[in-house]
Amino acid sequence: MDGTLVGLCAFGAVILLLGLRVPIAFALAGVATVGTFVMFAFRTGAFAPERAVRPTTSLVFSNSFDLIHSYDLSMIPLFVALGHIAYRADITTKIYHAARVWLARIPGGVAIASVVGCGGFSAITGSSIACASTMGRICSPEMLRMGYDKRLATASVAAGGTLGSLIPPSVLFIIYGIFTETSISSLFLAGILPGLLSLLGFILVIYVWVLRDPSAAPRFTGIITTREKFAAALDAWPAIALFTIIVGGIYGGFFTATEAAAVCVSAAVAIGFAQGKLTVKALIEALRETCVQTTAIFLIAAGAKIFVAFIALTGVAGEIVQVVTDAQLSPFMLLAAIAAIYLLLGMFLDPIGIMVLTLPLMVPLVETYGFDLIWFGVVVIKLLEIGLITPPVGLNVFVIAGVVGKEVPIDRIFAGILRFLSVDVIVLILIMAFPIISLLIPGSM
Amino acid sequence: MLRRIEQLLLDLAVAAVIGLGVLITATVLLRVCFNSGVPDAIVMVRELMVAAIVLPLAVTTAQRAHIAVEFVSNHLSENGQKALVVLGSVAGLFALAPLIYAGWREAAHAMTSGGFFFGELMLPKWPGRVIFLIGMSFCWLRLLLMVVADFKAMWHGEPLAETAYGTEG
Amino acid sequence: QSLFVGEAGPNRGARAVALQWFADKAVELSDGQLEMDIQWGGALFKAGAALNGIADGVADLGTVISVYFPQEMVAYGIADLPIQNPDAWVGMKATDELMRGSESIKANLAEMNLVYLGTFTTSAVHIGCKGAAIRTVEDIKGLKVRGVGAYGDTFREFGANMVPMSIYDAYQGLDTGLIDCSQGYSYAMAALKQQEVIDSYTLLNWGQVGALGVLMNKDSFDALDAPVQEALLTAGEGMADKLGELITADNDKAIETMKAAGVEIIELPEAERAKLVETSKQFLDQWVERAGQAGLDGAALLDEYRGLIEKYEGIRDEQGYPWARG
Ligand code: NA
Ligand code: NA
Repeated sequence: MDGTLVGLCAFGAVILLLGLRVPIAFALAGVATVGTFVMFAFRTGAFAPERAVRPTTSLVFSNSFDLIHSYDLSMIPLFVALGHIAYRADITTKIYHAARVWLARIPGGVAIASVVGCGGFSAITGSSIACASTMGRICSPEMLRMGYDKRLATASVAAGGTLGSLIPPSVLFIIYGIFTETSISSLFLAGILPGLLSLLGFILVIYVWVLRDPSAAPRFTGIITTREKFAAALDAWPAIALFTIIVGGIYGGFFTATEAAAVCVSAAVAIGFAQGKLTVKALIEALRETCVQTTAIFLIAAGAKIFVAFIALTGVAGEIVQVVTDAQLSPFMLLAAIAAIYLLLGMFLDPIGIMVLTLPLMVPLVETYGFDLIWFGVVVIKLLEIGLITPPVGLNVFVIAGVVGKEVPIDRIFAGILRFLSVDVIVLILIMAFPIISLLIPGSM
Repeated sequence: MLRRIEQLLLDLAVAAVIGLGVLITATVLLRVCFNSGVPDAIVMVRELMVAAIVLPLAVTTAQRAHIAVEFVSNHLSENGQKALVVLGSVAGLFALAPLIYAGWREAAHAMTSGGFFFGELMLPKWPGRVIFLIGMSFCWLRLLLMVVADFKAMWHGEPLAETAYGTEG
Repeated sequence: QSLFVGEAGPNRGARAVALQWFADKAVELSDGQLEMDIQWGGALFKAGAALNGIADGVADLGTVISVYFPQEMVAYGIADLPIQNPDAWVGMKATDELMRGSESIKANLAEMNLVYLGTFTTSAVHIGCKGAAIRTVEDIKGLKVRGVGAYGDTFREFGANMVPMSIYDAYQGLDTGLIDCSQGYSYAMAALKQQEVIDSYTLLNWGQVGALGVLMNKDSFDALDAPVQEALLTAGEGMADKLGELITADNDKAIETMKAAGVEIIELPEAERAKLVETSKQFLDQWVERAGQAGLDGAALLDEYRGLIEKYEGIRDEQGYPWARG
């Protein structure tokens, strides 16, 4: 059985099922399972289904179970819980009130603050999904409550979440560094300016959006004295304390980024009880919501992981890279082709899966062209980040959809994402055209 | 009855999340304050993760909280939309069945082989796998009941229930 | 016949080169009857699922790291024990001969639908520290250490506070002071740029983590013609020489890199090493007990293994390493 054909059919089947409103997790896992079964059944040429059962179930189980059975990913339920607890303990509302009165003059000030918050948060977690699931729970509901346009309130955070892997530290850069034998610390430094450039781009999108449609972000209209402003800032102390604990704890060597999630939840619970704003009942209710949402997110991630293993079996990713290798393109065309490949795969697969499938073949190819591997790493990570918010499978968008609940349908979020994507493409072209943006900081160290 | 079990599973997951928070915080505090730690904390965190993520699956399903793209279905008639909801649940039955079969095999294997994790406590491998099987199985059962109920509702031309628990929750 | 190979690691580094060499060699020896499709980076299964992945036929063969399967891979685990043997090539040759030759191990693997093909090693275990230096075993007391296996257990016995963390997170852990020391292998320390954050590196010359290698699905293996099976086995046996050459050179180079970065290289004195060996004996006894539970004569295997190490040390001393024989 031709693996490439099976792989391409699978991509088609996923699009079809998603269009038919099949839950994303079921579409990915189901198509991958059937595809895996087909691949194993035709392993020896003839159709032998009895021989496919054992490897298929083994692949399906290990890929979903191992994803969940993870120490590093424990930060996701804990950070989601932090969002819920902070919301119920009034911590998020206070910081948003402060942001609102302080940034009242800036169009879309609170959305901009959220995106900047994402940038700051990404400097901590190292993971885009963790960034989106936490900031999504903290920022989007507050913006919705303030009457922000639903697309703006959700898309800004989904886009902001993609900063998680470009601004160091970053799990994706570590994996890229291992696969290319390049310095992880150089990669981290190289990601800083492109990360800030992306952040700037997102801020610009929000600014222009709200300038053209002021109703998208209702401003604080009341009259407020300087004294009240400072009172609002003072009121926001728990959020500032939590942020200080995270940053100080990680950079002071007290705990790792994974441990930071648990420490912060404990601190938030302690603050909530001390201020008398949190009850045991509210805490349990918050954790119940946390569990339901985290489960929905993880089920999709597990489906995506099974899908990646299936794609590995088909060899379709390698086939695509091989076509590009054989074409002997000019450096410029090669770069365009690579961007196209990563954007295409990014529509369906998750970043780590794409790297594992493509880097072993892609890196030797770009090396023969003499490309700088540090700069190429930044390009790849930026492309993978864009894939997190492109339809049909945009993990960050699903994460936001999961944490805001049924209030905002996914297509509304994707509609908002389009504006951020256009700027992302410009940033991407800048990073590709001017390697100095990536190489300036690592070069001067 | 089933609803009670599902709520219990959800609350066990809540307990697992609390366990994650307490266990990791304790690890940090013991290290920072007493230069000591919790043995095999990483293994325990991983096992707790399975409980936290998989046990709430049935409730997530009952609350129709699985994420789907409604771009096309929004343009369909009401009956068409209902049909797609049922289709989604049926797809779930097909997608999860191999996971349950595999989970059963893995759980049985882990229990009979006596596999364990390398570490100070040599913790066994079966609890996480058994929890995985339980969570997936109840999710599948809930999906099946929802398919039946939704199909009935469609047949009688009634709207689909908001959640599997009726209006109360 | 196309075979799927599952490898949880990247396609870079000494182990990857050795695995690729093995695949190429097997194809060559089979007169092109074989085709090898290596899936890197755990695309098919992660390291923790490798054993079932291969036994169930997700991949036909692949790398298994025993530490993830202390129960199932108890026999192979002998190569992870702190037996005083820091030489990568000697360790691999001894492990390979034991795994290849022992009927009880072969039967034990066959029961799990597995066939042994060849072995790797991560090479000798050493330790790098920041703001601390291990010159005697007393220095270990009170240090926050990232370590694994029986080596980590021994550090704990000497009063270290063991901090669980992956080797990839060790850089940041050392940098921020979350940990004082990280157990590792010279080439891996250099590959992860840890010379930037450590200021001392103590050569323990104590033992290695060597219980990792290539296993094959027995059904897939049995389905092959005898000459093709032979090609796989021969290529597997050659991996020890290939990886030995690569890793020995990489380790030497890594030490030079560390020196150039201003890292103090400390040789642990013989008397101090003896204390490590003595304290780690209890973990050997624990292993013998576990092997017994699996129906293997652990004490006899251990004696055999020690004999094989001596044998290959003798060969090395008389003839030199195979790649240096010219
Ligand atoms: Na980051
Ligand atoms: Na996408």
